[in-house]
Amino acid sequence: MKNKGQKISQAFQRWLLALVAIAFLTSTAFLWFSQTRLSEDNTHNLLKLNILDVEQDIKDLSDENLLKVTHRIAKELNKKDSVSSFDLMVLADKHSVPEINLIDTNGIISASTFPNFVGFDMSSGTQSGAFMVLLEEQNELVQSYQPLTYDENIWRKYAGVALKNGGFVQVGYDSYSFYEDISNKITQSTRNRHIGENGSIIVADERLNIVSNRGGYVGSELSTIGIDLDNFAPETLFTVTVQSVPSYCMYAISEGFHIIAVIPQSEAVLSRNVSVGITTVMEVLIFAALFLLIYYLIKKLVVNNIERINDSLAKITDGDLNEVVDVRSHMEFANLSDDINSTVDTLKKYIADAAARIDAELAFAKAIQHSALPSVFPPYPNRKEFDIWATMDTAKEVGGDFYDFYFVNEDTLAFLIADVSGKGIPAAMFMMNAKAVLKSYAESGLEVNKTFTLANEKLCEGNEAGMFVTAWMGFLNTKTGEVTFANAGHNPPLVRHADGSFEYLKVRAGFVLAGMEGVKYRKNELQLAANDVIYLYTDGVTEATNINDELYGEVRLLDLLNAHKDATMEELCKLVLDDVFAFTGEAPQFDDITMVALKYNGTSEPTEEVQS
Amino acid sequence: MIIDKQLNGSELILSLTGRLDTTTAPELEAVIKENIIGVTNLVMDFAGLEYLSSAGLRVILSAQKTMNKQGEMVIRNVNETINEVFEITGFIDILTIE
Repeated sequence: MKNKGQKISQAFQRWLLALVAIAFLTSTAFLWFSQTRLSEDNTHNLLKLNILDVEQDIKDLSDENLLKVTHRIAKELNKKDSVSSFDLMVLADKHSVPEINLIDTNGIISASTFPNFVGFDMSSGTQSGAFMVLLEEQNELVQSYQPLTYDENIWRKYAGVALKNGGFVQVGYDSYSFYEDISNKITQSTRNRHIGENGSIIVADERLNIVSNRGGYVGSELSTIGIDLDNFAPETLFTVTVQSVPSYCMYAISEGFHIIAVIPQSEAVLSRNVSVGITTVMEVLIFAALFLLIYYLIKKLVVNNIERINDSLAKITDGDLNEVVDVRSHMEFANLSDDINSTVDTLKKYIADAAARIDAELAFAKAIQHSALPSVFPPYPNRKEFDIWATMDTAKEVGGDFYDFYFVNEDTLAFLIADVSGKGIPAAMFMMNAKAVLKSYAESGLEVNKTFTLANEKLCEGNEAGMFVTAWMGFLNTKTGEVTFANAGHNPPLVRHADGSFEYLKVRAGFVLAGMEGVKYRKNELQLAANDVIYLYTDGVTEATNINDELYGEVRLLDLLNAHKDATMEELCKLVLDDVFAFTGEAPQFDDITMVALKYNGTSEPTEEVQS
Repeated sequence: MIIDKQLNGSELILSLTGRLDTTTAPELEAVIKENIIGVTNLVMDFAGLEYLSSAGLRVILSAQKTMNKQGEMVIRNVNETINEVFEITGFIDILTIE
C-alpha cells in the first residue's frame, strides 16, 4: 500500500533548500550593496586626493609664473621716476599681460593700463583691499584666479609687488595670458600621473578644450572623449563612458583649469568583485555543508525511524500480529512503539477471544446438527428385512448435508439423503428446517413425490436467501422390497442387485427443492430383491478433490463399491470414506461427505414376490 | 474466474471463464446485481466454464428468477460436464439452454 503525497524527507529537503537559498541570496545582495558603497567611497576619496594634488600643482605653477612676471615689471618701474598710464601700456605689451596698475602710498591707483581705473581706492573692495598689505611690511602677494570685485563675470588673477619708492605695482592676468605660459608645465606634471592602475588626470581649459590627456585629443573639446561636465557638480563622483571605457569621474576647477580625475569602473569595483566572489564561494560551501548536515540529521533521527515503524506496521497489517515495533532511539519513538505494541496485543487478545467463541459456537452448532440425525446403529435391531448404515463426515465448516430414515407406517421405511446449497450456519439452519418439513409430510401418509411437491412449496416460502436443497428420498416396502422414490436434483444413487454389479440409478431428476414454486415431482419405482443394495451419497464423495485438482469421480466410486461385494453396509460406508481420504491426501476437505447404504434382506417368511 | 461483461442496451452478455464455485460465485452475483436493472435479455456464455458447484447453481437460479419477471435468460455453450450438473439437479427443466 503506497500513499500518494510527498515524503517527509523530500518536503523537508525543499524547505531547507529554499531557506538556504534565501539566506544565501540575501547575504550576497547585502554584501554586494555594501561593497559597492565601499568601493565608491574609496574611489571618491582616491579621485579627490589626486585632484587636490593637481590643483595645488597648478596653483603653485600659476602663482610662481605671475609673481615672476610681476617682479620683472616692478624691476623696470623701479628704474623710473615717474610713470604714466601709457608707460604701463607699453610694459603690458612687452610682457604680454592684460592689466598693470600702479598704486601710490595711499592705496589709490595712480596709473593703469585701463585709464578709467585711475583714482580707484584699493581699500574699497575686498579683493583689491587684500593688496593693502604691500604698503606695509609685505613685499609680494599673489591671488588665486577669481571674479573681479566690480564685475563678477570677469575672472582675473592678480599679483602685486612693493616698489622701492613706496606704493606697489599690481599685475592682472586673464587665463589666456597664462595658459600659454604654464600649459606645458601642467602637461608635464599631470600627464604621467596615474590614479590606481589605469586611471588618469585630464586637464581642460576654461572653454573645456583639452590641455592635457594621456589618451591624446589635446586641443579637442572634452565632449569628444565623452565627458560633458555641464551635467555634474564639481567634486562629486559620477559615472560616464570615457573613450569607450565606463569610468568613475570627478572634477574640480582651479586657476581656470578643469581638472578631471578618471578611473575605469572595472578597476574601481575590482576589490568589490573579488571580495563578493570569495565570500560567495565560501558561503556556498558553508551553506551546502549546513544543508547536508541538517538533512542527514533529520533523515537519521526522524525519517529512518518512521520507515522502521512503517515496515513493522506493514507486517502487522499483513497479518503478522507477532511483529514487535522496537524503535527506541528517542523518547517519542519509544512511546509510539509501546503504544503500537500494546494496541496489537489488545487486538490479538480480542481476535483470540472472538476466534475461540466462534469455534465454540460452530462446534456447538455441529453437535446440534449431528444430534438431529439418526446416529444409533443398527437403528432397528428387530427388523431383519434390511440393514441400514449412514455416515456424515462434516468439513471444518458447518455444512448443509443430511440424511434421515424413519418408518412412515408399519411396513414402509422412508430413507433420504440431501444437500443444502452453501455452507455455514445459514445452510445448517436451512437443513434443519428441510429435514423437519420432509419428515412431517412423509409421516402424514403422502406418497414420496407428493411429499417433495408439498415440501418444495413449504420451503419456497420466505426463502429470501435463495437457498435450495437437492434430495433423494425413497420409501421401501419392507415386505415386498418395492421402492418408490423421487429425486429433487440429487446425484444418482448406486444400486446393486444381488447377482450383479453396482449401477447408477439414473432417472430424469426433478428440480431442486426450494428452488422454484409450483414444481411437480415424479414418482419412480425400483424393485429390490434380497441382498440388493442401494447406496446414496452426496457430491462430497464424487467431487472430493486432491492436490492436483482431480475429482474423485463417479467411476472411482463405482469401481470401489464393485470391488467389495461382500462388505456389510457399515464396512461399505467406511471403505468409501477411507478411499476418499486416501485420494485427497493433504488437500483440505471442503464439503461434507455423507452417505447412506441400505441392504434389503427380504422377509423372514419368503413371499412370492421375492421368490419370483 | 474471469467475468466478461457486455451491455448492449437492454441485452447483457456475461461470458464466464474458469470455475464457478463457493469462492467465485459472490463475484458473479455482484456483477449481475449491478447490471441487471432494465435488462430484458440476459445471456450467459459458459464456453469457458470448467466447473459449476451448488453455490454457482444458486446464483444462476437467482438470476433466472429475476429474469422470469423482467424478460428472458439464455445460457449458451454449455459443455457436457456442466450440462450433466444441470441434468442431475433438474435445472435443465427451468433453464433455457441453447
